[in-house]
Amino acid sequence: MAHRVLAHTADTGIEATADSLASLIRELLLGMFGLEATIEPSAAQRWITLRVEAPTPEDLVVDTLSELLFHSEIEDLVFCDFRVEMDRDELAVSVEAGGVPVGAVEPEGPPIKAVTFHDLVAEERDGGWYARVYFDV
Amino acid sequence: MEYRRLSDVVWELPARDGMAVPGIIFASEALMELVREERALDQVANVAHLPGIQKASLAMPDIHWGYGFPIGGVAATSIEEGGVVSPGGVGFDICCGVRLLASNLTEADFERHREAIMANLDLRIPRGLGKGAIAAADLLPEVLLRGAAAAVDAGYGWQSDLERCEERGTSTGADPSVVSDHAIARGRGQLGSLGAGNHFLEIQVVDQIHDPNAAEVFGLAPGMLVVMLHCGSRGLGHQSCTDQLRLMGPAMSRHGITVPDRQLACVPVQSAEGQEYLAVMAASANFAWANRHVLAHAAREAFADALGISPERMGMRLVYDVAHNLAKIETHQVEGRPVQLCVHRKGATRAFGPGHPDLPEDLTPVGQPVLVPGSMGTASWVLRGVADNPAFDSAAHGAGRVMSRKQAKQRESGRAVRDHLEAEGISVRPGSIRLLSEEAPYAYKDVDEVADVCARANLAAKVARLRPVGVVKG
Repeated sequence: MAHRVLAHTADTGIEATADSLASLIRELLLGMFGLEATIEPSAAQRWITLRVEAPTPEDLVVDTLSELLFHSEIEDLVFCDFRVEMDRDELAVSVEAGGVPVGAVEPEGPPIKAVTFHDLVAEERDGGWYARVYFDV
Repeated sequence: MEYRRLSDVVWELPARDGMAVPGIIFASEALMELVREERALDQVANVAHLPGIQKASLAMPDIHWGYGFPIGGVAATSIEEGGVVSPGGVGFDICCGVRLLASNLTEADFERHREAIMANLDLRIPRGLGKGAIAAADLLPEVLLRGAAAAVDAGYGWQSDLERCEERGTSTGADPSVVSDHAIARGRGQLGSLGAGNHFLEIQVVDQIHDPNAAEVFGLAPGMLVVMLHCGSRGLGHQSCTDQLRLMGPAMSRHGITVPDRQLACVPVQSAEGQEYLAVMAASANFAWANRHVLAHAAREAFADALGISPERMGMRLVYDVAHNLAKIETHQVEGRPVQLCVHRKGATRAFGPGHPDLPEDLTPVGQPVLVPGSMGTASWVLRGVADNPAFDSAAHGAGRVMSRKQAKQRESGRAVRDHLEAEGISVRPGSIRLLSEEAPYAYKDVDEVADVCARANLAAKVARLRPVGVVKG
């Protein structure tokens, strides 16, 4: 499992690999919030839970990341730890996300405005999963 | 990507591989050199696939790689020909734009009160990650419906400001009932906040006048201290675009539309989904008009506190407020006849020329002010709309980035960037010192060249050049 930041002239992106779709989404969440700040997972003070379902893996990636961005802004949290589980029967994930109050964080990047569909990939590749996502910042 | 030069500052991507029209880029040789190093030209070509697109997929001189549309992209679709509206052609920051306040103060006044002015602005302008808002959340329903007019009624700004706002600060057709609960929740705590990234409030000095007549009409004079601010619809707009993109995927299938990039998702303007998007977009735009209005009010109060003089006595009237992320229904001449179009401007400014019926009476003889901000350490420009604009009355919206945020951060620390700016006489109050390096002047193209190409391509004419002396950064 790994992720890396993709260069983009105005915005930014993340590329990730993992052995399952759930792990891939966790990796993307770590990468996305890692753009805003570097926080140890053990620092998480408050947790939220949510469930997201979508028609395709690509939509599941965008919708899950978007939903966490929404909660980050509403709850005034920067998330740093994630537990992601796939549903057995549907293309859906349950996410537990732990975060730190915004006021306690030294930002390393501007807040992410949104998750885009530009050049989006989320697919099985080489026996595992691969994703590429760009963000509007 | 194959392209050819048509004239001094006009380049063409010939139509191919499903492009309905060619691409046209307005750029000098030097700017084109920067564009060809990234993927913006692919995006110009992709936009040319939109159903109903007219004339060309256009790119302004500050074009750079975006998501879906290039930043600096303009596309007009014919409504009568089933032309589409695309949320990606507006972007997540719906109605992001720029506002310029004049004054009867000078640089010498600023020097006398520099510390007090900067300290007051630092205190009064909410910005950065989760840093609050000026206006109360209960103003939101009225703001979504009436934009800046609702802010004026609530005591922010002056009634006379509205005449100097594009669309008079109110986008028509807004329907707050179709704005999602998520978007409302995000907007409740953000009315009157700057955001972060490239958003800013700058104190500037008018250092060159290129068109004395237009400058006088706009209320600008050499040596005048002015205030420019750049921000948009904040989380409410970001969420609205996210919501609408989610709906448009399945809707495209129903309408039999395919596009080369999912971020270009679109539906016919006249479809139910298209009308809903326009209603949500207008409500989000109203948030943005009001947001800039409230922030400008706070800036006036900051100056008043610092100098002990009322904003009215300081002559802090609004020069103009422009959007650079919107889709608008406008009538333009296409092949010699008037056609109703949906004009998308993604990182492009509307630029109505002299005599346009939508301009207020006093601006009619000279055309609409077009505000082109530079970066923190460089100039900004006031241009004006001209007759026979070749891009559906559009012009540039800024300098345009040339360096990724990562590259910019690696070059210098935020503290070093601040020290350089301070050494040049530019006071800086960043929301976060570490983020300052991402917005360093070298991360952007030469704004003087962008303004120059606008003039040479007849997109807009130069009126005044503004030089920064103070920056409040998101």
